[in-house]
Amino acid sequence: MPRYGIAIDTTKCIGCHACQVACQNHNQLDYNQRFNWILERDRGKYPSFDKEFVPVQCNHCEDAPCERVCPTAAIYTTAEGIVHIRSERCVGCKYCVEACPYKVRIVDHHKGIVTKCWLCIDMVRKGGEPACVTTCPNQVRIFGDLDDPNSKISRFIAEHRAQPLRPDLNTKPKIYYKRS
Amino acid sequence: MLENAWGWLIVAYLFLAGAGAGAFVAAVACDLLAPDWSKSLARAGSLASGPLVAVGTMCLVFDLEAGLWQPWRQLYLVSNLSSMISWGVIVLSLFIPVALLYAAALNDLTFVGRYAKKYVWHLEVAGSVLAVATAVYTGILIAVVNGVPFWNTPLMPVLFLASAVSTGLAVAMIGAAIIDITTIRTLSNFALGHVIFLAIEGVVLMLFIFMSLTRSVEAAVSANMMISGVLSPYFWLLVVVLGILVPFALSIVEYYEYGKMPKYLVVGADLLVLVGGMSLRGVIIFAASPPQIV
Ligand code: SF4
Ligand code: SF4
Repeated sequence: MPRYGIAIDTTKCIGCHACQVACQNHNQLDYNQRFNWILERDRGKYPSFDKEFVPVQCNHCEDAPCERVCPTAAIYTTAEGIVHIRSERCVGCKYCVEACPYKVRIVDHHKGIVTKCWLCIDMVRKGGEPACVTTCPNQVRIFGDLDDPNSKISRFIAEHRAQPLRPDLNTKPKIYYKRS
Repeated sequence: MLENAWGWLIVAYLFLAGAGAGAFVAAVACDLLAPDWSKSLARAGSLASGPLVAVGTMCLVFDLEAGLWQPWRQLYLVSNLSSMISWGVIVLSLFIPVALLYAAALNDLTFVGRYAKKYVWHLEVAGSVLAVATAVYTGILIAVVNGVPFWNTPLMPVLFLASAVSTGLAVAMIGAAIIDITTIRTLSNFALGHVIFLAIEGVVLMLFIFMSLTRSVEAAVSANMMISGVLSPYFWLLVVVLGILVPFALSIVEYYEYGKMPKYLVVGADLLVLVGGMSLRGVIIFAASPPQIV
């Protein structure tokens, strides 16, 4: 089985939000619901300063705090390593929202459950890639199998020593970042 | 990015579960330690305990979404024993019936009470264990949350247990004044309990704040929100002054004046302890701030 992840090159991100819109479109989200965000951070000092755009979404943590705290066992990890939700079990207690250190889980008040990025597993299982990855005009995102040392993503991570966000939180995220 | 998923209903849940558990402990203590004149305290504490925890649990249920509209989903709530909510559901559903039976036994309510009376000793032991478990659980519930570094400390259950005991004693004292106003004099004996438990609560709270200031950047952000930021008026006024210092001072006076203090001050001090307990849960829940991720 593959173990999917995404590598993100923030040095190429222009903050256009195309990934976010593509995601909302694919997942039929309301205009105010989203599975990914572009965080902004100032980098450097005058006169050589810059804005860094950091796209964030569910990290599909291998050691996922959200999964550990869910009382109904609605959260599980698929064979491909995707942290997913059995929506018919979720009661909407929002414990997982509090437990996620990356704050990427959202409440769907129509269905009364919590939801989030699922790496477009529907398209991936048909041989495609997540909507955010294919839409990005600047090829900021690389999707692939982290366990295959020859995949594009594994070579990218090795070459640039890409790191997850806050690896010290010990959740073992599967979204990697090249930030400089 | 959703940062504050929990609000007033969870605050009320944490407070009521703590106060109910504390009231049970206070009732058992009065029944065992003190002579006849404290019976109305034991009766009041036991009567309040089960209903308070039950109402608290309803607050948690009303905070659910799909689980509220489709109540059968609540059956899933005990599916994951690494989740504190699953443990909470188990502990609370054991504690509530034990507390109700104990109340029936101490107050001679119907035939159930007369029957339960034979097992008072068993109810006291089992109930005390479950009451402490309930109070500690409300702290652990949020102490294991990785998403909020401020809550993520072993001091959390200690603080909530201390607060549960002082609010529980307050509940028992108010209840005793309601069912038998002549006990107001004997309440002074219990003022010493308030002095001790409020002191413990104050010390733990101070430790918690100091340690939060140095533990991590995010915990310090939350602690600063409480001591000097947007939540500071509520923290200093409701939690520290009205919730701890004033009732602490009143209880000392009450203890030494023995029964001479005006009734409204005696009951007022207890009400303030309750206001403080609720506000403590409130400021802690609302001071939540997530890890800095970028
Ligand atoms: S990023 Fe958050 S929601 Fe995603 S797996 Fe990790 S803890 Fe769960
Ligand atoms: S909101 Fe749903 S998915 Fe999240 S912890 Fe509660 S039951 Fe589990």
